[in-house]
Amino acid sequence: MATTATITLASADIAGDPVNVSKTSTCTKAGTTADLDQTTGLNRVHLRSTTQKVLIGANAEGNDLAGKVYIVNKATDPTLYISVAIAAQSIGKLYAGDFMFIPWSQTDVSADLKVAATNWTASTGDIPVEYALFHEDTDLLTDA
Amino acid sequence: MATTTAAISIASDITDDSLGVSNTSTLYTAGTTTGLSTMTSVTKVLASTNQVDLITTGSVSTTHAYVYINNPSTDHTEYFHIHIGNNVGSGTYDDGTLPTEEIGTLYGGDWMWMPWDVDDDICITPSVATDMTVEYQVFS
Repeated sequence: MATTATITLASADIAGDPVNVSKTSTCTKAGTTADLDQTTGLNRVHLRSTTQKVLIGANAEGNDLAGKVYIVNKATDPTLYISVAIAAQSIGKLYAGDFMFIPWSQTDVSADLKVAATNWTASTGDIPVEYALFHEDTDLLTDA
Repeated sequence: MATTTAAISIASDITDDSLGVSNTSTLYTAGTTTGLSTMTSVTKVLASTNQVDLITTGSVSTTHAYVYINNPSTDHTEYFHIHIGNNVGSGTYDDGTLPTEEIGTLYGGDWMWMPWDVDDDICITPSVATDMTVEYQVFS
């Protein structure tokens, strides 16, 4: 049950010579060649709050286990962005169309992945966000 | 300005019905449709398990960037802890009160891609001191 992730970065003109980076990784459990075996699947939410919301809650059981998180801002207005943070630490802004794919090791129980539709207003409309988590043995169900 | 694209494709058969996700984005300056103009591409060999600043805020002149980090090792037991926050000496605090926050662990063969608000440095801690190579690119 493999999960593979491929990124391709390309530019014909950001440097004197073309840039073309492509890398595929197979998502494995921490420090092994065993495949990750759990996922939240692909989720879609519509953000309409300028305050931070927990997108994926950290779990003590996940401490230092392998996890990969994919988040994409599906808005089409280039000015609309979401702010992404882990715990109290801001990471960056995903503008319309932007995605991120990061490891997430839940080093502490407060290491929630949080998002905010920082420049949302009633007139901008909701910001659709899609996300998926691929992980190993940890129970991420809130009430399990 | 330059035209730079980032594309991702994820394929998974963890679930009974396989999952496929793909997305391509053009990299723009914050809130515009103006292409980015700067790229930094670095390969480093790290020979210590100390946490060090990998990408400093001073190396980027904007407040919106994209970062690609790759662990090219073929050994899955060799990994990097990737943190965000300013490393001071051998400690893990940037101002004496705020610890660096670990984003995650890049095992051998893993890569990551994320936006960066250039508020704090991106730090790295190798798992072994035997010349681990890390590759990164910053687009801004």
